[in-house]
Amino acid sequence: MDERFALVGLCPAAEQAAPKGRRPGKRPALAAAFLALMVLGCLLFPLLLTKDPASMDLSNYAREPDGTFWFGTDTMGRDIFAMIWSGGRVSLSIGFLATALSTVIAVAVGAVSGLAPRWLDALIMRLTDILLSIPSLLVIILLQAALGRANIASLSLVIGATGWMSVARVVRTEVRQLRTSEYVAAARCMGGGTFHILRRHLAPNFLASIMFMVVMNVRGAIVAESTLSFMGAGLPLDTVSWGSMLSLAENALTAGAWWIVLIPGLFLVATLLAVTELGEWLRRSANRGQSNL
Amino acid sequence: MCETLLDVRGLCHSFPLGAGRYLRAVDGVSFRIRKGEIFGLVGESGSGKSTVARCVMNILRPQAGSILYRGVDVCDPAQFRANRRMLQTERQIIFQDSSSSLDQRMKVADIIAEPLAVNHIVPPRGSLRAEAAFQLRYVGMDPAYLDRYPPELSGGQRQRVAIARALTMEPSLLVADEPIAALDVSIQAQIINLFRHLQAEHGFTFLFIAHDLAVVRYLCDRVGVLYRGKLVEMAPTKELFDRPLHPYTKALLSAIPIPDPRRERARTRFHFDEAAFDRTGGFVQVSPEHFVLGGKEAEP
Ligand SMILES: Nc1ncnc2c1ncn2[C@@H]1O[C@H](COP(=O)(O)OP(=O)(O)OP(=O)(O)O)[C@@H](O)[C@H]1O
Ligand SMILES: [Mg+2]
Repeated sequence: MDERFALVGLCPAAEQAAPKGRRPGKRPALAAAFLALMVLGCLLFPLLLTKDPASMDLSNYAREPDGTFWFGTDTMGRDIFAMIWSGGRVSLSIGFLATALSTVIAVAVGAVSGLAPRWLDALIMRLTDILLSIPSLLVIILLQAALGRANIASLSLVIGATGWMSVARVVRTEVRQLRTSEYVAAARCMGGGTFHILRRHLAPNFLASIMFMVVMNVRGAIVAESTLSFMGAGLPLDTVSWGSMLSLAENALTAGAWWIVLIPGLFLVATLLAVTELGEWLRRSANRGQSNL
Repeated sequence: MCETLLDVRGLCHSFPLGAGRYLRAVDGVSFRIRKGEIFGLVGESGSGKSTVARCVMNILRPQAGSILYRGVDVCDPAQFRANRRMLQTERQIIFQDSSSSLDQRMKVADIIAEPLAVNHIVPPRGSLRAEAAFQLRYVGMDPAYLDRYPPELSGGQRQRVAIARALTMEPSLLVADEPIAALDVSIQAQIINLFRHLQAEHGFTFLFIAHDLAVVRYLCDRVGVLYRGKLVEMAPTKELFDRPLHPYTKALLSAIPIPDPRRERARTRFHFDEAAFDRTGGFVQVSPEHFVLGGKEAEP
């Protein structure tokens, strides 16, 4: 070793192994695998299956699961196995589209508010608070009624447009903090350009804090779609989604056909659980960076 | 040894307090730092030391005055742009608070190598990681810390990571804002020796900000005393400690405890009357190297 190090001397690192308690926890492999399977299934199965999920075969209505109809048929004679996958496609699309939209709005509003002068910031944040205090399901139903007959795009638009407020508040607080943080000043001092600062400092810090909420928004959007369709205020019966499948519950229960409700319900609940698990993991790994001051 | 590296002239900076009021944090500060010199800036908390450092590093834009580094006015946007790379590679700062000046989501190895990566400099020791390990050793830390994150380090270790980051660029001017205040006494001594070594062997120039006068006395060649944003006295270290002229400097120096108990008890504390502080006076030269604020008090 260089004798120049003798200047300051060297104290060995106390313990070599990383402390256990701070680990982000084990990866949610099961949840991730399940979600990947669902997404793949929803993308591929509707292309591969020969049965049309929308075709009603009234000679085969409310059939129990068997060799031909794996998950049975519903009270209108539609094949549930085919409906699960094409319905999942609709439900997941709405989940992702609505979240993408709400995230874009949230980042834009939050960044503007974070960079704006004090009065504009206060104005934007008060408006956000007001919007946040109105039950979003009510707003969704009203907006949807104004837009007319629901389809995937309009429902995503409405759900996305009502779900950005809480993320926007987090974004705004983060931007305010990061803007004045010393490590950004330090990076600028050493010659880091805007792009470097965005990529190495802002994005990691900022994404970590909103990732959890964004994932939870996916869950919220899927739930909102199901709720609306279940109540009959969402997608019409002939557009198959998990929510609209559940809206047949009443018929199904009087007909004693448990599979019509239970199977789409199971898929919905399992997907929501997997998304939650993923979100929890993201939150735990984001919290690893808490200071020990 | 006589070439001026940094020339600060009439620096003023105010912070808006809202409602049209301003806080004059730095008020007409002028000093020069020669190449290879360690210039100390002392003063009580809130006297504007960090603000001077931030202006020198272009983090804050002063309202008045100029800062010349190698003859380049760093406050002038056109001149700054033309010399950007030189200014950003040759000047480095060690921040006062290392818990906020290090990105919590970066590993120690990436933090230390960041200046090299940003400036696309080929690391002299092979890889960026080897370079980071070398600098970490240099400040007395085991390279095993390379894969840790700042929140997992102690305050003193974090401060040393911040020092290591500043050293990777081998800067010509190192602005050190109370770099050792968070360290324990033995590490403090080691870091101070490291600074002396860097000055003697590698010709580093320091703007060393401190409130520990014993450290300043040992380390610095010249010292400036800052009080409420005004530079009240500036002199070579020995001269300042032997023959302080401004009443505030006298009060500051008389507050240093003396290790000998008998002399400590006999020591007279000099009290400085804040109300009597006259900020309007000019900077008077009492000897070739010794300047003091306000002519009248300058009489010995
Ligand atoms: N961003 C800011 N906004 C408003 N006032 C500020 C800001 N930064 C510093 N000040 C004020 O400017 C004055 C000088 O602050 P500065 O940080 O330069 O002091 P300092 O000499 O470094 O003190 P310390 O030894 O405690 O670090 C203080 O009165 C402080 O309250
Ligand atoms: Mg300070």
